[in-house]
Amino acid sequence: MSVIVTHHLTKVFPGGVRAVDGIDFEVNAGEIFGFLGPNGAGKTTTIKMLNTLIEPTSGTAVVAGFDICKNPAEVRKRIGYVAQDVGVDERATGRENLTLYGHFYRLDSKTIKKRVKEIFELVDLAGYEDKIVSTYSGGMRKRLDIAMGLIHRPEVIFLDEPTAGLDPQTRVRIWDYIRNLAKAMGVTIFLTTHYMEEADHLADRIAIIDLGKIITMGTPDELKQSISGDVVTLSLLTAEDDDHNELMRRTESALSAEPFVIGTQAVGDKLAVYVDNGESAVPSIMRLLAGQGIEVETISMARPSLDDVFLKYTGRTIRAEEGTATTFAQIRRKRIRRQQ
Amino acid sequence: MNLVADTWFQIQRHIRTQFRMPVWIFVNLFQPIVWLVLFTQVFKSLSDMPGLGGTSYLQFFAPGVVVMTVMFGSAWAGMGMLHDIDMGILSKMLATPATRGSIIMSRVIASMVMLIVQALIIFTIAVIMGVDLATGVPGVLLTILLVSMLGLGFAAFSNGLALLLRREEPLIGVITFATLPIMFLSSTMMPADLLPGWLDTVRHFNPVDYAVVGVRGLVMDGYIWSDLWRSLVVLFGWAALGTAFGTMMFRAKAE
Ligand SMILES: Nc1ncnc2c1ncn2[C@@H]1O[C@H](COP(=O)(O)OP(=O)(O)OP(=O)(O)O)[C@@H](O)[C@H]1O
Ligand SMILES: [Mg+2]
Repeated sequence: MSVIVTHHLTKVFPGGVRAVDGIDFEVNAGEIFGFLGPNGAGKTTTIKMLNTLIEPTSGTAVVAGFDICKNPAEVRKRIGYVAQDVGVDERATGRENLTLYGHFYRLDSKTIKKRVKEIFELVDLAGYEDKIVSTYSGGMRKRLDIAMGLIHRPEVIFLDEPTAGLDPQTRVRIWDYIRNLAKAMGVTIFLTTHYMEEADHLADRIAIIDLGKIITMGTPDELKQSISGDVVTLSLLTAEDDDHNELMRRTESALSAEPFVIGTQAVGDKLAVYVDNGESAVPSIMRLLAGQGIEVETISMARPSLDDVFLKYTGRTIRAEEGTATTFAQIRRKRIRRQQ
Repeated sequence: MNLVADTWFQIQRHIRTQFRMPVWIFVNLFQPIVWLVLFTQVFKSLSDMPGLGGTSYLQFFAPGVVVMTVMFGSAWAGMGMLHDIDMGILSKMLATPATRGSIIMSRVIASMVMLIVQALIIFTIAVIMGVDLATGVPGVLLTILLVSMLGLGFAAFSNGLALLLRREEPLIGVITFATLPIMFLSSTMMPADLLPGWLDTVRHFNPVDYAVVGVRGLVMDGYIWSDLWRSLVVLFGWAALGTAFGTMMFRAKAE
């Protein structure tokens, strides 16, 4: 059964920005559906339409059995929304925040009391119910924020970048809560993120969105399998007086010239090399670089990650399929620029 | 029903928030006292002026302080809405079945409640300082009605402006820019007979003046029904206008 079905959902902002450009997808009951895309891809705009906060320019969607355009009031009763920015009242206590929402969903005081206790335990905030939220840490606020979307036991909960701006440790904990909640409450989760690991970790299915369009959709494994080939990651041995950047550039250009190399990409001080066949590529790379006087410090081979999937698909839309070093570097730069 | 319940729950939230800021409470109670004491000292010599008919400036000015307190207090009401917009509280709320009207209504009513309490405190202090209330307790109740309408209009306008401007700096700018002239373009500080001719004309377009005239009549002279009715009608109109603007902005701009 589908909890969300969209029909050519489109949002054009005044000024002509096609933030969401005719997307179609379905989310099944009980699954965690990940919406993965870079900054400005249209994730928040999609969520806001599904949440009835903004109206689509054209197309529509059915959420929890009701049309978002024709019956927004019914949709609101059945969803929970956790926005990109934490939306809790810092000058109230955790309980007061949650209780107000309980009333909005027409729960009686007894039920609210019971659920507050339950939910605070679920998100590991038990004991903090009556503390003013301004004394909470960032991670605790986010957990309260998520808790507020759960008080009425919604059929589907929307999490817009639930871990953006949190430190890696807190992020992993929030992941645990989200998974927990899917299991404990059987709630369908629609989650957006621009962290690959997050989508990979949490989502049963992923749609990759870029520039308002869904580029590809599937389980994380399906998506990874859709890229043929392997990723060889290597680090270079740099002598004291060598210029590391210069060495990387030389390595990149030497490798990109080879027919078995699809593309290269610098990842920190390492170099990722996309190849057709990892097993045969490793010895070839070693030989080639040795011939150029470049010494390899470490080398490893892996199946592609979602990162690579994203690179491949956005690579296609941003620029024609070239698969050269410049393409990858440009995509990366462009991505970084957009994130700023 | 839902509208009433939602409004009630949010009024509780707003009032609780205010009481958690002791400094704010202190300033708001203290400010009218400062005005009462300071202004009556500064304008002490005015007591002999013809427009005052021999009454003390305190007797004349106390109603003005009540009106000013309500006006300034409610004009800033939009800051709370802005806080909710900035903190993402508003958009989160809009994704719930909370009745739309309750969000702005609860803010306006909560402001009113706080201001009525302030007005009552000012009256008490004024009486202690020697002001003689011509109409007694019923007059105070009528005063509350008059200033509530005035404040409701200002609070609703202020909330509407918050939704329209969406940023702190312009909102603060507009409020600061508007409130002082609005106060001076009325007979709040000076008897109408002593105002220059053009000001005496302009004040008839100012809701604050109708509140001042109404309240001052009740405090100094008793029930002057012709003035009272005019004040009531104009202030109801003002409240309705503000509410219409606030609601319109909420419909158009809340997201
Ligand atoms: N209210 C608005 N008016 C005009 N353009 C907008 C508005 N909101 C968003 N946009 C534009 O629509 C596009 C998509 O924005 P959206 O916020 O949906 O992206 P996102 O995927 O959520 O990005 P992020 O990861 O930064 O949150 C962007 O180009 C953005 O500039
Ligand atoms: Mg976003």
